[in-house]
Amino acid sequence: MRVGIPRSLLYYKYLPFWKTFLTRLGAEVETSPLTNKKILSRGVEVAENELCVPVKAFYGHCMALRDNGVDAIFVPRVVSVEERAYTCPKFLGLPDMIGAVAGPLGLPPLLTPRLNQREKPREFKWQLIDFARRQFGRSKLDAVAALESARLAQRSYQAGLVGGKKPLDLLPNSRFNVPRSRPPAEQRKRIGLLGHPYNIYDGYITQNLVARLEEMGAELVLPEMTEHHELMQAATDVPKQLYWSYEKEIMGAINLWTENKAVDGVVYVLAFACGPDSMIQVLIEHRARIHDVPLMSLIIDEHSGEAGLITRIEAFLDMLMRKKKTAAA
Amino acid sequence: MNDSLRKGYLGIDVGSVSTNLVILDEHAGVLAAIYRRTQGQPIRAVQKGLAELVAELPCPVEVVAAGATGSARHLTGVITGADVVKNEITAHAVAASQVVPDVSTVLEIGGQDSKLIILDNGIVTDFAMNSVCAAGTGSFLDHQSARLGIPIEEFGDYAISSEVPAHIAGRCSVFAESDMIHKQQVGIAVEDIIYGLCHALVRNYINNLSKGKSFNPPIVFQGGVAANAGMKRAFEDALETEVVVPAHHNVMGAIGSAILAMELELEPGKTGFKGFEITDLDYRTSSFACNGCSNTCEVVRIKVDGKTLARWGGRCGKWEMRDGKLDRKREKVNR
Repeated sequence: MRVGIPRSLLYYKYLPFWKTFLTRLGAEVETSPLTNKKILSRGVEVAENELCVPVKAFYGHCMALRDNGVDAIFVPRVVSVEERAYTCPKFLGLPDMIGAVAGPLGLPPLLTPRLNQREKPREFKWQLIDFARRQFGRSKLDAVAALESARLAQRSYQAGLVGGKKPLDLLPNSRFNVPRSRPPAEQRKRIGLLGHPYNIYDGYITQNLVARLEEMGAELVLPEMTEHHELMQAATDVPKQLYWSYEKEIMGAINLWTENKAVDGVVYVLAFACGPDSMIQVLIEHRARIHDVPLMSLIIDEHSGEAGLITRIEAFLDMLMRKKKTAAA
Repeated sequence: MNDSLRKGYLGIDVGSVSTNLVILDEHAGVLAAIYRRTQGQPIRAVQKGLAELVAELPCPVEVVAAGATGSARHLTGVITGADVVKNEITAHAVAASQVVPDVSTVLEIGGQDSKLIILDNGIVTDFAMNSVCAAGTGSFLDHQSARLGIPIEEFGDYAISSEVPAHIAGRCSVFAESDMIHKQQVGIAVEDIIYGLCHALVRNYINNLSKGKSFNPPIVFQGGVAANAGMKRAFEDALETEVVVPAHHNVMGAIGSAILAMELELEPGKTGFKGFEITDLDYRTSSFACNGCSNTCEVVRIKVDGKTLARWGGRCGKWEMRDGKLDRKREKVNR
């Protein structure tokens, strides 16, 4: 069976796990191409207007997989990845949203394992064993073996990220977003790049932001470079715990960076109409302000002009450069 | 070098609505300044502007260095050979701190965008730009002046003669316009409507851009919209402090860009500036859709006398070309 994984949303977080798991269960895994104009505009056409741009792109990726003739599309329902927290509501409803248009769009069947460990840790295991049995007719033993390889693959991916590699260096076929040229190391500024990986690393949605920042003299500091449990620990430094795991990671990163003076400035990318981001944006801006770390929020949507984005990041880096010059003088 | 020539620094700011050019002397004094409309043709505007600038010079000048800024800065940089091409935020901040050395807040409202720049000791420490929507910027005022049949130059005079500004919704241009029409139809004086509009734009500006930033004096208000005395007064009402509008408020971007060029400290004769003669060259721009992948990027091509001078616009960069040279590195990366 050929199973398609949309190159969108949680792809950037979990591809090594999912790909290995599905392959070990006997599927032939295929991913959709990099987001491009056609994918996004088709997604925008069929998706609910209220959604954020990365979810709209997800629709387009499903359509691209349909065109490639896959037998099924992998759209997991990621409800919760840790105790007492949820993921973004859009991830909870993703199989339903895609399912609602699957008929009219002629999408192949969706594989929608439900992943939820809000109540008990390590629930994923049983949920995925059940998925392997129902969808692939595999025994518990087979599923456990597949899970074990998948975990190893994911662990090595995360170790690479902590080691300073960017998701795009490690994920297959992500060759865009490569800087043309970079200023010498001593002139660079340490820029913390904050936001959801599916926005930041989607070179179409954020217009090669990673490469542009590097070309303009940024030495990127990414949340993925910190061990996950440290991020989560650092996120607890707020009066009330956040509901959303992925936003906690972002919060943890800004807390650590400001605490350790690990960055000269922060660029925070958020999608227009993103509910969770709109809530934590205030917390993040506040945190940066009290620690006197320059922060620039970039709001993206499907109409984002390239000029506005470039002007903003250019001015932001200029500001940091000129600041450092005077500080040194 | 000819002794009768004065040293000058050229700054060009090509924005969506206006194109501004200045020549500064070595003490950053303005020798000549031109403010003209871009009218959707940035290249023509730069060429005509340069010609007008030369005509306005009090003495012959040798351009030691040139800078370009504004949304068409890259295009301008290519056709003029500017030595420094910098974004308009940096340019505006640099210019404001030249005019008012201890400035801590710069309010700038241009044709399509508005900016708030916070400085500390002459260094930008924070800035904000309006997001995607151009509500509350110069082009909206332009549109309303055309609709009311009042020349934009007189807008400010109408506004300051008002005693009671009408309340106009400023969140969105569409709402503001329908609000204005409504007030007009119930018989409110046009002066009050115009001043009300200024208040609405100021409210919108503060809501959109300040986000917890404080407006500390001295405050400088610049950009094309600063010519409108009603806007200055509305800002002073809202911020409860004096707002300085510099003499050359409408060409501050160009001044900043000339100062940035000056900061390069180039030796005379080392500039890349192609000279005022470019006014006579025949620049042609065209664009085509690349069919290399499904992005179908729109690539812009600039030709001079039939020879391609520059190309840009593709996402992958394979068409990228500046100064007649292909960007080989990027091409290799994406092959």
